[in-house]
Amino acid sequence: MSSALAKAPSAPATDSKPKAAVAAVPTFDNALSKGIAFSRVAVLLGLLAAQFNDLVAEPVLTLQSALPVVAVIQVAYAVLCLPAAGSQQAKTAKKARPGEKKKPEQAGTSSVVTAFLALVLSTIATPVIHALFILFGAPFLDHITHTFLCAAHFSLLGIFPVIYARGVDSQALIAVAGLSAPLDETLGGLLGAVLGAWLGAVPIPLDWDREWQKWPVTIVCGMYAGSCLGSWLSGVVFFGKRLGETASAAKDE
Amino acid sequence: MPPKSSKPADGLDYKAISKQFAKARAAREAREARDAEAKEKGLPTEKEQTEILERQRELLNTKRQKAYERRWWWTAAFWTWLLAVHAVGIWLFASGFLLTRLVLDDKSSCAAPPVEGLAASQAALDVQKGCWHPKQFDRAVVILIDALRYDFTVPEDPAAAHAFHNSFPFLYDTAVKAPQNAFLRPFIADPPTTTLQRLKGLTTGTLPTFIDAGSNFAGTAIDEDNLLMQLRESGKKIAHLGDDTWWSLFPEYFEPNISKAYDSFNVWDLHTVDNGVIDNIFPLLESSKDGQWDLLIGHCLGVDHAGHRYGPDHSAMTAKLQQMNEFVTKVAGSIDDDTLLIVMGDHGMDGKGDHGGESDDEVEAALWMYSKRPVFGRTSPEFAIPPATAKIRPVNQIDLVPTLALLLGIPIPYNNLGKPIEEAFAGQKGNDWANLEAVSRLASAGIERYRQSYFKARGIKQTVEPGSPAALWAAANVAGLSHKDAYNYLKEFENETLQVYKGLWARFDVPRMVAGVFVTAVGLVMLVMYSSKPADEEFVVANDAELDYAERRLELMNLNHEDQEVHPDQHFHRSLLGGLADARVLFVVGVLIAVGLYRKQPMDGPAALVVTLLITGVISALSTSGRSILNILPRTFWGWLSVVLTLSHSIGFASNSYTIWEDSILLFFIATFGVAALISSFRIESKVDRTMAIYHTVTFIIIGRLASYSKLCREEQMPYCTSTYYASVTSSTSAPWQLAIPFAVFLILPDVIKAFLMPSKSYEGLAPTWIGYAFRGGLFLSALYWTIDAANNGGWLADRLSESTLKSAGVYLAQVILALSLIAGSTSFAWAPPNISILSTSAKTGQLVTILGYGNAMGARYLFLPLNFLAACILVTKPMGSGALALMMWQILCLAEIIDLNQLKAESIGPVMLAILGNFYFFKTGHQAVLSSIQWDSAFIPLFSIRYPWSPLVVALNTFAGQILAAVSVPLIVLWKVGPKQRGILETTARALGVFIAYFAVEALTTMSWAGWLRRHLMLYRVFCPRFMLAALLLVVMDLVGVLVALTGVRSNTLAVCEVFGWAE
Repeated sequence: MSSALAKAPSAPATDSKPKAAVAAVPTFDNALSKGIAFSRVAVLLGLLAAQFNDLVAEPVLTLQSALPVVAVIQVAYAVLCLPAAGSQQAKTAKKARPGEKKKPEQAGTSSVVTAFLALVLSTIATPVIHALFILFGAPFLDHITHTFLCAAHFSLLGIFPVIYARGVDSQALIAVAGLSAPLDETLGGLLGAVLGAWLGAVPIPLDWDREWQKWPVTIVCGMYAGSCLGSWLSGVVFFGKRLGETASAAKDE
Repeated sequence: MPPKSSKPADGLDYKAISKQFAKARAAREAREARDAEAKEKGLPTEKEQTEILERQRELLNTKRQKAYERRWWWTAAFWTWLLAVHAVGIWLFASGFLLTRLVLDDKSSCAAPPVEGLAASQAALDVQKGCWHPKQFDRAVVILIDALRYDFTVPEDPAAAHAFHNSFPFLYDTAVKAPQNAFLRPFIADPPTTTLQRLKGLTTGTLPTFIDAGSNFAGTAIDEDNLLMQLRESGKKIAHLGDDTWWSLFPEYFEPNISKAYDSFNVWDLHTVDNGVIDNIFPLLESSKDGQWDLLIGHCLGVDHAGHRYGPDHSAMTAKLQQMNEFVTKVAGSIDDDTLLIVMGDHGMDGKGDHGGESDDEVEAALWMYSKRPVFGRTSPEFAIPPATAKIRPVNQIDLVPTLALLLGIPIPYNNLGKPIEEAFAGQKGNDWANLEAVSRLASAGIERYRQSYFKARGIKQTVEPGSPAALWAAANVAGLSHKDAYNYLKEFENETLQVYKGLWARFDVPRMVAGVFVTAVGLVMLVMYSSKPADEEFVVANDAELDYAERRLELMNLNHEDQEVHPDQHFHRSLLGGLADARVLFVVGVLIAVGLYRKQPMDGPAALVVTLLITGVISALSTSGRSILNILPRTFWGWLSVVLTLSHSIGFASNSYTIWEDSILLFFIATFGVAALISSFRIESKVDRTMAIYHTVTFIIIGRLASYSKLCREEQMPYCTSTYYASVTSSTSAPWQLAIPFAVFLILPDVIKAFLMPSKSYEGLAPTWIGYAFRGGLFLSALYWTIDAANNGGWLADRLSESTLKSAGVYLAQVILALSLIAGSTSFAWAPPNISILSTSAKTGQLVTILGYGNAMGARYLFLPLNFLAACILVTKPMGSGALALMMWQILCLAEIIDLNQLKAESIGPVMLAILGNFYFFKTGHQAVLSSIQWDSAFIPLFSIRYPWSPLVVALNTFAGQILAAVSVPLIVLWKVGPKQRGILETTARALGVFIAYFAVEALTTMSWAGWLRRHLMLYRVFCPRFMLAALLLVVMDLVGVLVALTGVRSNTLAVCEVFGWAE
């Protein structure tokens, strides 16, 4: 469907490898999907900008109340723009799919069910993300709700679209975890969220005595900005490219 | 043979070699056929030929070993040269940056007061009546209580009181009860707050500069004009009891029979010095001893040592202060009417009882003056009660100098910048403005005289704009001022002049600093080029014993044709250094040095030029041998990650916040690498390898976070940080529960290490004895040592064993551990066989020989060396730190596995991560980049008293334990899971070490640049200067450890392994 997007030039280089079997997840190639994908970015960033002062003043409350809104936006985006795991678009590249729900003809209901399952899985992933934040130095015993809500937002932004599009296909998920899957909106969103959150930690130690330096405001902002930028860039500019091609090529020499 | 998963990268090599082998085998078969023929014809048989081959093999081995040793010596020579480059760069910068002050030789004299035309009633010009001003006292007793912080002496609400409060009330009480006999004021020290600098300030009245800080371990005589010199010139006698620092500053000043000096650095000993002072002072105060002394100095160290050893909030401090209270009370009762009694602290102490920096707690000492005859006054009634905190009405420590000089009737020392203390001259009613003006004018005129000579000597022009000292001086000398106004003008002049000098002595030698930065930068370029990997070189680990065996046979078959084989890197280091011996270079260097010597120039310029020239020579040699300047650009993700981590860490030093929070930032970097390695691990094809890589990566990240719980916060991190390293924030001893940590290390760590050796079947040979018994035993003894130490500190066995028995038991135990780990350990490391076992099993095809541990023959054996150092470091580190260091070893082993499984041995990320780990664990072993966090007491772990060079070495081992362990482990990363036949080990290790050192060189360069650039920054001495000193010192220490331990260890490891398996190259 999305063959119009240029994915040909980069793919063949490492085609001999089994991981090449994992294909990029294209968005639906229609005006509505494109429009929604674009407006999602605008809405998320707009929401962040509008809520920024509240976020600084009351991080927990704001993150909490924003969570359902972001969930709705993400589900709508997934259902309307992304092929659900196991649906036709994603299927082209691979064969067996263990642990997958039946494939009903009605793409609509299937998408919603998949979205719901993906939401559940993202919720399960939240404590793992929380642990990751702690490993990077986030407070362990205090600010638990702050960190947890931050992790929940991360899950929704970065993890949810990936699970929605990839399901629980271990080969695909390993490829995503190893960043060896080709770039698409879901992977780009995840990678962007990671890098954004990473960069978001940079201003925290500075002695500027600004309210917005408090945990986890900068992380949330970086995460949203990074995720939006990442998913847009990899959906439009770098779609289908593989990361670390040069690196792995050099390693294999 | 041990199974070893073949890696895709081996493919090419493997094919090439097996092809060659097939070819050789065909040739051999053909030869065997010829042999059979030959036998028939009576020519040498196969067997005889084998013997010939055997002999040739030995010959080849000897030749290769010799070549290796030559190569190694050239490598070591190159590294020594690198050390010299770093030392020159640091020296150049430090000599311009660490401030120096011009010492004027002028002396004040009784006959030449700074104010001309004084009436004889004021200036008798005679010591008997008072030189420049009528004297008040004949004699003075100065009790210097080291580290007597101001808040130790003022009352505190008992509800909020700490152990150091309310134990020393005598000073405050007398000042309140009899304000005409006593006064108490905060006494502000000028940093650096080390005793030696403070004594200089307290006697000369000037501001010691930072360069003096380094000389604290070995003080040098003061040749500037000072109070003691003036006393001696006036024929007065000085007696001294206590801290021997005075004797190195003032040699031959003290009355020999009645003075007594005590060792000052034995911070474990709270009582010897104090008891010595107390026992010896009272006999001297008896009236029969009149005329034996005019100034009696008693310097007590107990409070300072209690702070260093336990921290201020400890019952030992309470006891010490109570003792001082009793002591001072008794002295005050023993003096006569014409004797002045002064009690003061030379500096304060921070929350942990340490000092050296310029935090408020460190500079706020107390000053109390007492006289039996009422002489003191207050210019305002509200000054009658001593200030509640040190922020109110403080006096500068240098103000003591003119005060004491005028009270005793001797000339004010020439270099003095202090002003007379008001209370001493205000008269009993506090309104003797004429007297105040007179003393203030004397002091000011002295300051003005000094200012003119100093400006003349330095060629500085005076400014006369309003507010400048010159303008204020003129204003104070206008005729017709009332005494009070004149006094106030003079005070203003004195304050302003002091500010000018504070600014002046923060005068940096910028050209030298620039030269230092330049040399370090060029040296860094050289080092990075040296450490870069030539594009065509690969370090492919091909651990296949069968293949190695085949290769070897191939080699022997072709032996005769390859007699002239030369190692590809045989002359690499030699050619790098060879250029330096070039006649033209030597000529230029010789001329520069000769001209410098002839013209008696300072050597900094020529040195910078010469070193830059030589570095350029090495750089051009490097570019011609395949490591051009462009080669330093990273080519892979990992290369970029190394660069990003190194640079972002270093650029952060430009900000005081990032410097302050360095420990958290390093944890962040460790987690970042962990996540990158995790992603990379998911790309590994083999499921087993992938699982193992993920497992080790996750362990790596979790350990880092776990270790981050051991921390010692620096003052600037408050209140966002909680120290866990000691029992409490105001203590420097461990909590009893922390003793469980060394015992846990003893139980767990050897098994963890064993678990890393088991998969490669390397827990063979000496390993079970070494790790399971010797290493474990060492850890047990360390735990025992810290138990004894805790028992001693806590007085647990007070009624059964004396303190000295416990102390000696601890010291001898510590000596045994150090001897075991470093001396016995290094000797055994040199002689130990590889960690292998040979199993023979009979199979159908005949005897099958299996070598256990073949695939990790190099790494497993090398591991002993880091373990030896770990055992020594754990001993000299407090219990919390021993847990941190054990975690560090675990993390290093995880790192080695991650690097191996992801095939990153030839990448720069391994050494860079080691450097980050080393720095991280510097913070996790109770250190910060501040002078006061140096754990001086560690010098007394294996010794009773200061002994050179051992004491500084032990303190260095304690301070840099993390980085030293990291440096020793650099070869481990390269050698881990590497078999005995690996080629290019020395070159790859040297390169990895280059990357490792480059990390520290970048830090030294950037901290140096930032410190130089931000030299007027408010936080210079608090943040930037200590970080530069740390980075500079670390660079030199890492260079030394790199050559003396890591490279030497690789050599002895390679010699031992290749002796068994034969030389591969």
